[in-house]
Order: sequence, then structure tokens, then C-alpha cells
Amino acid sequence: MAPTVAATLIYVPTLSISLKQRPGVSGVFPTSSVLFPRSRRIGSHRLRVSCAAKPETVDKVCEIVKKQLALGADQIVNGESKFSALGADSLDTVEIVMGLEEEFGITVEEESAQTIATVQDAADMIDNLCAIKQ
Amino acid sequence: MACSRAEALSLFRSLLRVASTFKDYNIRSYARRRTIDGFRENQTLSDPSSISAAFSDGKAQLVVATRQALVYDIYAPTTKSVMETLGV
Repeated sequence: MAPTVAATLIYVPTLSISLKQRPGVSGVFPTSSVLFPRSRRIGSHRLRVSCAAKPETVDKVCEIVKKQLALGADQIVNGESKFSALGADSLDTVEIVMGLEEEFGITVEEESAQTIATVQDAADMIDNLCAIKQ
Repeated sequence: MACSRAEALSLFRSLLRVASTFKDYNIRSYARRRTIDGFRENQTLSDPSSISAAFSDGKAQLVVATRQALVYDIYAPTTKSVMETLGV
């Protein structure tokens, strides 16, 4: 009796994790293969004064933000979304920046982290730091 | 001596950074979870004495965590936890 109880306990975590992984993986593939965002980005790249972030970076940042704030699939997160508008308080913002550090393998300074207000700011800083790292 | 908002966020960031340096998956996830829960729980404190008490408590925990990360590193586990091998 005891071994079967333990077996069912072990099963539950792996099931829930694999369920969570699948939607995340399938969510990444379509966006990276769609051409529309890429062509739109090139146009905005010409208009911006500072260098714009790559669309893949923005997509990854949006994914991490959505996961951290537990936003549904119907809520739109793009480059111009402000963290405060998405319902993130300062603690959430710190957690998101830490998640981005871990994901991209960079280290963000305290002062730079406080200036991040939108998804685009975060993506720009990530690309700058990745370029400096290389 | 009450702490400012920036100091509290800085402590939060430091604790999360130290939490990520633990080699053991269980301790790493516990440290991260505990700091997040602790800060969320004390988010709405308004009394300066309780704020400074919580802040000094957090600073003491930071000292403990940095020390223990080094100590545990000496005897780091050789096998990876099953939770870290998912995503195959």
C-alpha cells in the first residue's frame, strides 16, 4: 500500500511540469518562423535613433514576462508594454530582470535595472550586454 | 532607522543572486521561494520599526546564505537532481 502511494506522489510533479513545458515550447516555434514581425521591425529600426533589439530577444522577454506575471494567452505583450501596465509591482520587476539575467547569461547593474520600464527597454539592454560580452 | 524602498529592492536582488549560487537544486529553489514569499508577505508594512526589523532580518539571512553557499560548495552533490534534467 505504501509503495503505491509513493508512486502516485512521484507521478504528479512530472505530469504537471511536462504539461507546462509543451505549451511553452509550441509557443516559441511559430513566432520565430513568422515573417511579419521581422519585416515590421526593420521599418522601426530605421526610425529609431538608438539600435533596436532583435525580434527574437523581444519575443523571449515577452515569454518570460508572461510566465512571471502568469498572464493568459489572450493578453498581448509586445515591445511597448509597460511593466506597471501589465500589473507588475517592483518585486515582480526585480524577479523578471533576474529571470532575464539567467536566460541570457548576462549581469544587469542596479542602476540600469531601475531604469527598465517597458519590454523594449529590457530587450535593448539585453542586446547591448550580449554584444559587449562578445 | 527605517530602510528606503531602494534598499529593500537591493536586498531582494542580492538575496535572489545568492540563492542562484547554490549548487543543490532543493536549497536553491527553497532560498528563492523563501525570499519571494518573505518580501511579498512584508510588502504592506507601514510601521517604521517593523519595517526596519524585517530589513535587518533580511540582511542577517543574506549573511547566512552567502556563508552557506560557500560551505555547501565544498561538498557539492555529484549527481544532478531529476528536476534539472527535464526538457529532454
